[in-house]
Amino acid sequence: MVQHMSGPDRSARLVELVGPARLDEVFQAKVRQRRWAVGLVTLGIAGIGVWLMCDMLNLGGWSPLKVVELGLFVLLFTALAFGFTQAFIGFLVLAEGHEPLKITNTLDPATPLASTAIAMPIFNEDATTVFGNIRTLYDSLQQRSELENFDFYLLSDSVEPSKVVEEELAWADLCRQTNGFGKIHYRRRRLPVNRKSGNIADFCRRWGHRHRYMIVLDADSIMTGEVVSSLVRLMEVNPRTGIIQTMPKLAKAQTLFGRIQQFASRLYSPVFAAGLNFWQQGAGNYWGHNAIIRVSPFLTSCGLPELPGRAPLGGRVLSHDFVEAALMRDAGWEVWFAYDLEGSYEGLPPNLTEYVKRDRRWCQGNLQHMWFLLAEKIRPVSRLHLIQGILAYGSSPLLALFILFGTFQAAIDRWHQKTLNVQLPSAFILMFLTLLLLFSPKLLSLIHLSSQSKSLRPYGGGLRAAVGVLLEVVFSILVAPIMVWFHTRFVFRNLGGQTVTWHTQTREGGEGPGWAATLSEYWPLPVCGIGLGLFAWWISPGYFLWLLPILLGLWLAVPLALLSGRSGLLKSFFLTPEETEPVKELTTSYVFQLREGDQFVHAILDPFYNAVHVALQKERRNHAPAAEGYVASLAAKLFRQGPEALTPREKRALLADGPTVARLHVLIWKTPAHLMNPVWSKALESYRSAERLSKPASEPAEPSHSPVDPAVA
Amino acid sequence: MAISAEYLTLLRVGINASPEWKEAWDRINDYLDALKVPEDVERQLVLLSSFEQAIARKRQEPFTPATQLAFEETQRALDQALGHLIGPEVPQDRRSVEERIRLFLTEPSERGSFKSHVQLSDEVLEALREVRLKPTPRLQQASITARPFRFSSTGEKVITFAERLAFLGSNRILSWCLGLGIIGLLIFASL
Repeated sequence: MVQHMSGPDRSARLVELVGPARLDEVFQAKVRQRRWAVGLVTLGIAGIGVWLMCDMLNLGGWSPLKVVELGLFVLLFTALAFGFTQAFIGFLVLAEGHEPLKITNTLDPATPLASTAIAMPIFNEDATTVFGNIRTLYDSLQQRSELENFDFYLLSDSVEPSKVVEEELAWADLCRQTNGFGKIHYRRRRLPVNRKSGNIADFCRRWGHRHRYMIVLDADSIMTGEVVSSLVRLMEVNPRTGIIQTMPKLAKAQTLFGRIQQFASRLYSPVFAAGLNFWQQGAGNYWGHNAIIRVSPFLTSCGLPELPGRAPLGGRVLSHDFVEAALMRDAGWEVWFAYDLEGSYEGLPPNLTEYVKRDRRWCQGNLQHMWFLLAEKIRPVSRLHLIQGILAYGSSPLLALFILFGTFQAAIDRWHQKTLNVQLPSAFILMFLTLLLLFSPKLLSLIHLSSQSKSLRPYGGGLRAAVGVLLEVVFSILVAPIMVWFHTRFVFRNLGGQTVTWHTQTREGGEGPGWAATLSEYWPLPVCGIGLGLFAWWISPGYFLWLLPILLGLWLAVPLALLSGRSGLLKSFFLTPEETEPVKELTTSYVFQLREGDQFVHAILDPFYNAVHVALQKERRNHAPAAEGYVASLAAKLFRQGPEALTPREKRALLADGPTVARLHVLIWKTPAHLMNPVWSKALESYRSAERLSKPASEPAEPSHSPVDPAVA
Repeated sequence: MAISAEYLTLLRVGINASPEWKEAWDRINDYLDALKVPEDVERQLVLLSSFEQAIARKRQEPFTPATQLAFEETQRALDQALGHLIGPEVPQDRRSVEERIRLFLTEPSERGSFKSHVQLSDEVLEALREVRLKPTPRLQQASITARPFRFSSTGEKVITFAERLAFLGSNRILSWCLGLGIIGLLIFASL
């Protein structure tokens, strides 16, 4: 790795001069220096904040509440200072224009490619999106004439019968369209054991030895052929690297919430990413998708352990990515962050409610990582990544407690008829410092963008970008208390032993939940906001004003949640390059020959759906009479009572029996309408072509008035 | 194959006049639509030959519904038209499925290309006969060994300490009371 760091052309001379062992030492020393620098700056800023806080709290004497408050402040402010330091250093790195220690410096387009699996685990996803994304990458690689090194695996864990059927036909159609049989593979597990990590592990067990690398994608991941090839080449020239994570850019958002997130991520993440790479170097993290993994060490080192205790915090590891990166590092492999590789994209939840729902899953997964802080052989930087993941959710209850204790202390002061017990200069400096840490990364990102005049154009120009940042700041201030509320709830629920269920993520736009659904989920927020507001007003109007940004978020939670899912709002702002100058891969859409309506019914009736489905079912070698009897009874029930009569489980059992599904197809098509459930005859008519519906062309000739028996004819 | 116009008219009039045969006619047309068979002579030939046979069978099996007879004969006609796309070794009960798959694979557009008379090259025909809808490649198995979870020495101490306090978290009401109690105590002590 190190040999190539300064670019392939310069590396040979460098190695010659210094020697490889010495070079590695120099590299390690440099990384240590960088980490010390980041640590010291973080601690320095945190120290100033803590000193100011102590100065504030010191007035009027210390109390147990103040001590706890200070403890919470230390944790929260250090995390904030660390984020700021990272962004600030990232800004300096980008401003300098050349980062000598990044993995992409080693990229050599002449490096030959190696066998790579593109693995996409899916679970009840929209087939058109999933297979369209795979087609995008397939075409992109084909255009680069690099397809031969890649195999595509759609690893389905879908359990919804209609989704299963849809996936099968979409796969067959995709292969047909691209002539991709033998290249694009589709595998469905009957039982989604251990969810996504189990899905990938199953893939590795079955086909792990076929490929040197695997690129893991999410269902909404889009990658260009160029970035995929670059990742393989980077792996080839860096034989000590186990994982390379790309920086996926958010794309294809339609709703207000999605576009704001997309804009914020696009604008702010480069500085954070550059800062992250600055200190983590080869001890990076893995985010679960849009990354390349060396299969062999993954097989030997990344088997996930069973955690002590039971779910939700024990048992099987839910959020596998951070842990896999830590295990890879423990086995001596490097994990790099290729933050400046273009062409890696992902989608995001379309509205606040869906975002919160996704966080509910992630929260439980990240809290499980607490175990790994106590585990042996986890390297310090990996522990830091795990802590960051835990704090992504764990900081919310800490912040809630900090505000609560501060409010109690202020109320006690009010009770004792003390005047506003705040050391004003310290308070203002601390407030200024906090605002600086919170918002200056955004400003630095805008400055970085403005420094390159051409870069501003895709954002709609400097003015629009600046207004976009302002609006995004307002939005993030309003949304922050809502997120704190929900994260606190999730953390307490998980700590209280409540587990989360695994729902499919809604990835498309739409208007989001309606008034009733939103109210039923969000009503406690404005209620608490009003209560807290009244309490703060009672303490003092000054304290009320102090809490106003939090209160506003709570009061406006319902309309914010509703507005978040709306499309078409503020369309002229929050523009991103992916929206204004998208690459071809983001604009191309593909159509698969999927029919509208109940896909399960199509599996029975549509001749193509039925044939594809039947052909994909494994032949049963052992014919257990009990199982056959059960399937036959299900078939009879389905025929008599229609598809609604079967539960999803029964539908799955029936679908798994290919011959029975084939027989049902024939049976329903050949049975006269009066001998079967009207649902079926109606369903059969839905296959009538538009031509025949518009003109009764298929009707046999002109109507006759004399009844003639066809047999006579 | 020459079809007399009079014969056609009579057949159509006859089918149209009988509700049972009319239903069968509609059903078979719906099926051909589902198969995306275009409205052309080919389709008419399949329809007519199927119904001719079905009507003949109806004389032998008067209690068998016309729809059933027509469907079975249509399947037979389709088998004749598409049989060359599959190998002779495919068992009878599987032929229809395999034929439909070939039809799907050769279908270039939304409105299908059912044409038995279209001359496919020998190469394509051979490939079609050999095709198997195989979604996954041959297994090349590997094993992943789950790493056992082991605590570090500090972790052991933390866990031992936590286990002593575990009874506090065993009951949700107790936990809440304890949490609120601590907050209450903090407030009380700060008064």
